[in-house]
Amino acid sequence: MPQKELAEIQEMFREQGYISDDAIAMSVYLAMKLEKPLLVEGPAGVGKTEIGKVMAKAMEADFIRLQCYEGLDSTHALYEWNYQHQLLHLKMQEQKGLDPKQLEATIFADKFLLKRPVLQAITHPKKAVLLIDEIDRADEEFESFLLEVLSDWQVTIPEIGTISATHKPQTILTGNRTRELSEALRRRCLYLWIDYPDFAKELAIVRSKVPEADENLGKQVCAFMQELRQMKLEKTPGVSETIDWARALASMHLKHLDKQLVEDTLGVVLKDWQDIRKTQDALSELLEKTGVESRL
Amino acid sequence: MPPELHTYQTSLSANIIQFGRFLRSKGYSIGPQEESDALNALGFLSMRKEDLFRQALKTVFSKNFYQFAQFEDLYREFWSELDRAQDSKLKKKQDKKTLQQSSLRKELKFQALKDWLNLNPSEEEQPTASYSDLEVLSRKNFSDLSPDEMELILSALKRIAKRLAHQKSRLRKRTKKSSHLDMKQTVRLNMRTGGEIQRLVFSEKKERKLKLVLLCDVSRSMELYSRFFVHLIYAFQNAYDKIETFVFSTALHQVSEILKNHEFGKAFAMISERVPQWSGGTTIGSCLMDFTTTHAHNLLDKKTIVFILSDGWDTGDHQSMENAMSVIYKKSKKVIWLNPLAGSPNFSPEVLGMKTALPYLDLLAPAHNLKSLKQALYLAQRRRNLTTSPVFSQNFH
Repeated sequence: MPQKELAEIQEMFREQGYISDDAIAMSVYLAMKLEKPLLVEGPAGVGKTEIGKVMAKAMEADFIRLQCYEGLDSTHALYEWNYQHQLLHLKMQEQKGLDPKQLEATIFADKFLLKRPVLQAITHPKKAVLLIDEIDRADEEFESFLLEVLSDWQVTIPEIGTISATHKPQTILTGNRTRELSEALRRRCLYLWIDYPDFAKELAIVRSKVPEADENLGKQVCAFMQELRQMKLEKTPGVSETIDWARALASMHLKHLDKQLVEDTLGVVLKDWQDIRKTQDALSELLEKTGVESRL
Repeated sequence: MPPELHTYQTSLSANIIQFGRFLRSKGYSIGPQEESDALNALGFLSMRKEDLFRQALKTVFSKNFYQFAQFEDLYREFWSELDRAQDSKLKKKQDKKTLQQSSLRKELKFQALKDWLNLNPSEEEQPTASYSDLEVLSRKNFSDLSPDEMELILSALKRIAKRLAHQKSRLRKRTKKSSHLDMKQTVRLNMRTGGEIQRLVFSEKKERKLKLVLLCDVSRSMELYSRFFVHLIYAFQNAYDKIETFVFSTALHQVSEILKNHEFGKAFAMISERVPQWSGGTTIGSCLMDFTTTHAHNLLDKKTIVFILSDGWDTGDHQSMENAMSVIYKKSKKVIWLNPLAGSPNFSPEVLGMKTALPYLDLLAPAHNLKSLKQALYLAQRRRNLTTSPVFSQNFH
């Protein structure tokens, strides 16, 4: 039985067009079963964010996303009081001549509370998928701030009290390792490292995402990308670049790579001029390794 | 739903706990929470497939990239050890023994590193129950690193450089972040609505923009360290915007442009090419003089920290060095001399070059390993203190 469930997850992902492997399926499976947040790290463009989206689709749950950035604070992540609304409310009630004590009781009501993603996820009527994207971009204070939510699934609002989760949201955190995350946060999560895919996996991804691409072309593109990642580049291209490139080439109805073509379309794959120049210099060698015959 | 596995006291759960302990000794942070998670996770899985079992433990136990990458090896090490054990009692003893042995081996390896160049006093290091890669690395001597370790240290340095770049000033500025309420501005803003407070004004501390100037000695006496120092300035150059870098041996060369625009290997090659006296003799004095006459007037001001990376071995004229140092000292916010030899317990600034420079330094610090470098950078953030001696003492906490 349990094994089937694991296989089901892989199947579920495949249906959504996400090619996973054993490690990914296992982490997602355990994250669901143990009801723990999953911390996903890896280089850019390997499909970290995608995991959250696919999970939401597969579980038919609502998808709530919190994009982290430097300076993100609780008012943007958790909740905020609608200050203007409160003021207006007070003014109106004052004219009715209500007793200040009664007034005070009404002022911190639910309707003045602006729910931000984390609180939304916790109080959601059914289980939701909460994606906290690029957590390493947020400040350390914010990270500590998440601890209460991630371990106890509750949020404390001083004026109201503690709000506990109606359903524990399925939480995914992603990071690029631009900053080392705190031990405390790591301990509350399961961990998954996604690396660049190997040739077979990348090919499978291209096949599933760009079905219109020629079979031979797909192979060559993947082989080329594999070689390209071996080079020391400023920005190593990820899987999303492979897909973009395959799509671009497929839209031109090409059946194989050649040198001129690669040179012309390099901008789809590489986003840094030094990388482009470096790759152009080494292009013949790269193509040779890829197995593309130069037709000169 | 299967019953929770850890309610049974089975040999499997005992082994898992044992495995958890084994990993803990390897620096994994594993507590009862992780162990119970692991046992629960196994409850969901079929026991017949070994790779599922391994994958599950990997997911639960590893908490960062290094642990994730290292896990398979440790897994194999532990379970093969367990296979070999005849019965559980024997196994326990063996486990303990191997644990001790492996930690002993580590200790020895450690010791060997430490004794290299005889730079670290041995009582400085206490074996700890768990340590991260970086902690070990931070005590390793820079002249003794593999490329991977270098990578790790450089990423740590980048972080330090970033922190240095984002220092907070005491001045405040307006912000949208609702962190600190600025009462004065709030009242002023709400005057126009007759004193009724409708909008709040927040403020945060202004960032203090520091500039850095790095002067790096690449003469022969520094050969062991200069490759690392170029790595270091490369990391700094790429993490920090306002920085100018020079290398010198018998002449001064500005290398900021090269470092900024090229990938490290190429930059290093270009610099070695541009500096013909690479690994040659040193004339610090004349190089610094050159710096003061051609660059000091537009690079140095009271927001600039000057780092000089050198061992102070000088074959030049000490008078010109003194003149140059006094100009640099007066014009800059701080002058910090990083000397890789200063890490040695019996170091004293005896070399003439060092002696001459000493009155014009805010800090003379060792830079032979990451820990000392971190401390030096930490001290760099403080204000200039005119009363204390600049010599970095060994008993610095």
